[in-house]
Amino acid sequence: MQYDPTLISALEPDQLVAATMRPLPRRKLSRGVLALLIVLRVYIVIAIPIVVYAFVHALLVPQ
Amino acid sequence: MSENALDLGFSALPRSAEEGVTYEDVLRARDRLKILKARAAKSSLRLLWLLAGPGVLVMLGENDGPSMVSYATTGATYGIGFFVPFILLTFLMAFVVQEMTVRLGVATHRGHAELIFQRFGPFWGYFAMGDLVFGNLLTLVTEFIAIQAGGLYFGLPSWLSVAIGVALVIGSLAFRRYATWERVLMALAAFNLLFIPAALLARPNGAALAHALATWGPLPGGMSTAFVTLILANIGATVTPWMIFFQQSAVVDKGLTRADVAQGRTDTAIGAVLAAVAAVATLVATAPLFAAHVDVSKFASGADFATALVPLIGSTGATLFALGIVEAGLVAAMTISTSSSYSLAETVSAAETVPARHSLNLAFAHGHLFYGVAIASTLLAAGIVLIPGAPLLAMTLTVNVIATLLMAPALLLLLLLANDREIMRDLANGWRANLAGGTTVVAISLIGAFYGVITVFPNLLGK
Repeated sequence: MQYDPTLISALEPDQLVAATMRPLPRRKLSRGVLALLIVLRVYIVIAIPIVVYAFVHALLVPQ
Repeated sequence: MSENALDLGFSALPRSAEEGVTYEDVLRARDRLKILKARAAKSSLRLLWLLAGPGVLVMLGENDGPSMVSYATTGATYGIGFFVPFILLTFLMAFVVQEMTVRLGVATHRGHAELIFQRFGPFWGYFAMGDLVFGNLLTLVTEFIAIQAGGLYFGLPSWLSVAIGVALVIGSLAFRRYATWERVLMALAAFNLLFIPAALLARPNGAALAHALATWGPLPGGMSTAFVTLILANIGATVTPWMIFFQQSAVVDKGLTRADVAQGRTDTAIGAVLAAVAAVATLVATAPLFAAHVDVSKFASGADFATALVPLIGSTGATLFALGIVEAGLVAAMTISTSSSYSLAETVSAAETVPARHSLNLAFAHGHLFYGVAIASTLLAAGIVLIPGAPLLAMTLTVNVIATLLMAPALLLLLLLANDREIMRDLANGWRANLAGGTTVVAISLIGAFYGVITVFPNLLGK
């Protein structure tokens, strides 16, 4: 590709697509964060059926 | 740059020009060059103009079709009183949440969906993306309902309004240039302020507005289930998951850096103020319906409000109101479909299943998935609206439940990321940000979960 190298220097190195495509490593989770994420998973397990119920119930109610 | 940051993959400058510079980089560099020149010239207003966009768009985008109907219902049910300062408070909460996405974007140069995937793993990555894309699809349906309803006010058949809406949403992607897309949307979003002249035509009582702001009252009818529901709906109309994903991705796509945090914050604050003024104006514009004791409980769309307002604020005011509803649906459809594109392409890219790029600077040839998601979700949502007998009410209700019930995971993940010092370094939340952000996140999460539950079980609080 033809481009002016000085133009690209306007970007910070971290901003280049090549740099952003490099994945960040997994976060090392503390016990507190781990516990919070487990609670969130339980919350989701409860929440998703409520969403499904809401949709099905609304479908069955005459509009 | 710290060694820690280097280990995390930052500072990956290509060793040669051929190695990694893409056309997307070249376009972003052109925008950055203008910013660097404005900064060197100490032209602070031009700098703010160049860096503004994501914050204004996300806030005015959230003033979408259903949100404006929610504010209109509030004005018609309670008049000018408690809800005027309350709406301002909800936008303050939105600012606290959205400001974190600006810092996340400039610190990591990664979108929200890919950051969740990379830092918390595939479960949360796929969940966050799936929840967002599905919720966004249903929200898009409600935006096209708003466009259709606004069109009906002007005598346009449903299919024509929806077709024009689809053409404009898909047409906006044809720029293949983030900067152009952003400026066009900002121009369109300015029409959200049409609610202000509509409110002025309602001849609002300045003393009543000042009294409401000073005393958080009056509150006709006192506390009731309807009041609580409206409070929760107003919060749901101000802070939603797509805003978090959209603004962080837009900040990255625009190319903001750590040097631009102050302007990013100002952009978000300006957006919050403009959107709050438009929201309060909507409430004020419909307050005459409260004074005239008009029953709005059967109103299904913004067009019903516009029609009912004709004898009270005149046809000009009602027309401005209906135009505002169309704009609200249109701009939201553009920003929400784009947030789906960012989120899905970022997740696919993070999962490294197929190479997927995610930017409005991409050519179509390099962004099949990115553009495909926005186009497919727009066509699908528009098609659903036009299906005779489609369960639109069920979808609208489900949108509210998804947006509110599943807001807690989105906000808590945001707060965890904003406290992730490995990636945020000096931009991580301090104690003040954690106090404001934590209080807001806990409050919205609890209120959102409560709203979701009482939407499903409306008799929980009694009649």
